Amino acid sequence: MNKNGRFMVGLVGVAGVVTYLIWTGISETMVYYVTPVELLQRVAADPTFHEVGVRVGAQVIPGTYSRVEGELLHVFTVRDLVDQEITFVVEYRDALPDTFTDEIEVVLEGRMRADGVFEATTLLTKCGSRYEAAPEDLPGYVG
Amino acid sequence: MTILGEFALWISLPVAVWGMVMGYAGGRTQRGDLVLSAERSIYVVFGLLILASAGVTAAFVGDRFEYLYVASYSNVELEIFYKITGLWAGQRGSLLFWALLLGFFASVCVFTNRKKNREFMPYVAGVLHTIIGFFIVVLLFADVNPFERLDFMPANGQGLNPQLQNYWMTIHPPTLYLGFTSFSVPFAFAVASLLNGRLDARWIQLTRRWILTSWLFLSVGIVFGMRWAYEELGWGGYWFWDPVENASLLPWLTATAFLHSIQIQEHRGMLKVWNMSLVLMTFLLTIFATFLTRSGLIESVHSFAQELRIAYMFLGFMGAVLAVCVVLILYRLPQLRSENQIESFFSRESAFLFNNLMLLGVAFAVAWGTLFPLISEGITGQKISVGPPFFEMVNFPIGLILLTLVGVGPVIAWRRATRRNLQKNFATPVVVGLVTAAVLWIMGARHELALVTFGISAFVLTVLFTEFWKGTRARARIEGEGYVLALFHLVTRNRRRWGGYIVHVGFVMMCIAFAGAAYNIDERFNVQPGDQMEVVSPFGHTYTLTYEGLSMSLGRGQRNLLWQAIATVSVAQDGVPKGILTTEKRQYTNRNTQPMTEVGIRSIVREDLYLILSALNDTDGAIRAESGAQGIDLQVLIKPLVSWIWFGCMMIVFGTVIALWPSVDRTMAAQASTSESETEPALAEAAD
Repeated sequence: MNKNGRFMVGLVGVAGVVTYLIWTGISETMVYYVTPVELLQRVAADPTFHEVGVRVGAQVIPGTYSRVEGELLHVFTVRDLVDQEITFVVEYRDALPDTFTDEIEVVLEGRMRADGVFEATTLLTKCGSRYEAAPEDLPGYVG
Repeated sequence: MTILGEFALWISLPVAVWGMVMGYAGGRTQRGDLVLSAERSIYVVFGLLILASAGVTAAFVGDRFEYLYVASYSNVELEIFYKITGLWAGQRGSLLFWALLLGFFASVCVFTNRKKNREFMPYVAGVLHTIIGFFIVVLLFADVNPFERLDFMPANGQGLNPQLQNYWMTIHPPTLYLGFTSFSVPFAFAVASLLNGRLDARWIQLTRRWILTSWLFLSVGIVFGMRWAYEELGWGGYWFWDPVENASLLPWLTATAFLHSIQIQEHRGMLKVWNMSLVLMTFLLTIFATFLTRSGLIESVHSFAQELRIAYMFLGFMGAVLAVCVVLILYRLPQLRSENQIESFFSRESAFLFNNLMLLGVAFAVAWGTLFPLISEGITGQKISVGPPFFEMVNFPIGLILLTLVGVGPVIAWRRATRRNLQKNFATPVVVGLVTAAVLWIMGARHELALVTFGISAFVLTVLFTEFWKGTRARARIEGEGYVLALFHLVTRNRRRWGGYIVHVGFVMMCIAFAGAAYNIDERFNVQPGDQMEVVSPFGHTYTLTYEGLSMSLGRGQRNLLWQAIATVSVAQDGVPKGILTTEKRQYTNRNTQPMTEVGIRSIVREDLYLILSALNDTDGAIRAESGAQGIDLQVLIKPLVSWIWFGCMMIVFGTVIALWPSVDRTMAAQASTSESETEPALAEAAD
């Protein structure tokens, strides 16, 4: 085999390793991104889904937030972004980000316990990188 | 002033189009008058973009809230500093700012080349005009005009998000943008060489300084962003593998690969097509990052709908650039043949090639992980996302190989390394690396990945310091100089090489810092005044923290009223008092009522003590200054070696500046660079 040929083997080897890493990385760390509606449907259809880690985008319902006294445990209820009827309770044991208010859109990662309470391991608030105002939010808006 | 700015933006478009046409036509026909016109148009466009940017700034300073952009990012109370920097606070202004910076670099490029490199300049001017013109088109026609007016006059603006009111956040985007825009110049030279057929390494030599400058700004810009996240976001981390962060990392990865692979082309005349591809890829990624960082695209394909026009324009532009460049490369393929072949697996070419593959592997993995949710949603309808664990799983192993190559690259021989070359250069460093890992293990460090990183880092540092030592000693012996002077002369005689080594030392320092994160300590406490907390550092000493109490005040922060809840904690290390740290929650009383956390950091070389006031037990009680309402949640982090990131970054800046520093005597430098290949081995031989 000539030099270039041997080199091609090396290159293909490297590409193969990288692909393998990406493949295993994705299959071991991926989480399903679902809406609350989808989550509740899935759990109802297949009880083993309680063990699966998911990521849910949802809206915190105003007034439902409470904190368990003396513990770092936050409890609140969220609803689907579209279907207001679909709700579930969330428990989160960690410091809340500053952007958290009880009317914000959140992205939760965790799993839905068998008792119907969502145990969140991470909580992100949705604000994105734009930080831009909609005209309706400005004082003096006349519509 | 603002009206004038808006007017200037409209005028700049036909000028840029004119310059573009003149550039390509001038290059084709070799007519000097057309070329001159194209080059002068660059100055004119730059001047008009200055006027447009000044118009936006004037609108900010003058509180002209009838402009949507100003109303979205400013209010009457905003500090003047943030009004001036409002130009790059949001997407609309950022795009104008991008064009402005590119106008600046294009002008510098045209000015410095006004009497030389005439075979490149017409096309270079044409390409630069094309890029600037594209950004002006986007600004004017993609619903992102910073001069867009509301049909009512708001009483006040929305104000700037308090998290963005931070020093690092103010300089982070412009630094990145300096890196992004200055890379357009090497790209323009690459395209020019494809167009004029001068396909040797000339375009690389001409743009080496541009490439390095761009790389430096990219690196520093990314680290500024890490610093901002570390200080301001208040979770103690500096990198979250967020799509926006990833987008800025991608062009850095390909630019780093490019920086290495061009050396193979210069030395051995190989990898010409590869280098063209890398310069093209890096340029496209700078455009992609600009687009991505200021749009909500990545959250879902559905946000595409809101940004349809700008998304299509950017994707269309990138697609067109890609298509044209691929056609040009294919057309010139016969002239882009390699002049040499790789002779051995154990050679510097090979090490550099693997470095390139690894960097591209990381880039591919990062891009894949970032876009995976979009791709899976597009194909299966099921959105699947991957988080930081994915990026760590893939990138840590590749990163370790890269780190190893940093040690291999500098000393392995070109063409073919002999067994003697390998033994002579690597025996000691390998032993040092193994001993380091072993000693750390005996001392109680048990995290495997971190141990491997520390071991490899010791190996690389030994290689680099041995190089410095050998060179200095040889010079001291031959020239009869003192060691300090010899080291100085050694570095100044071949700045690129030794500057590069210093950059690598900085990179190793950063890798050591990243590995240190494996030993992070994270403890949470709910405390009342007078309570003591004990936290043991991974270095073995114990911090005793005493929560002294909470003070509430309604203060004047900048120009807004703000509530501040300041928790005071006194720190003792192994019983020795080390002063106090404060951490606070603050909340502005105006429209931006989102609370913010200010963390307390005590930074020493080996670790940071990082305090976060997570929450107040009873906010209302604390505001009424009730004595029973002083309980808080305190999060105590110990972050070993984290400041090595910032030291490493300074090292990288230092090394790059050395490599960039203009030679005092150009003719002497020219002689030195031609004779370098002969004198360096001579020095190396003398060192043995």
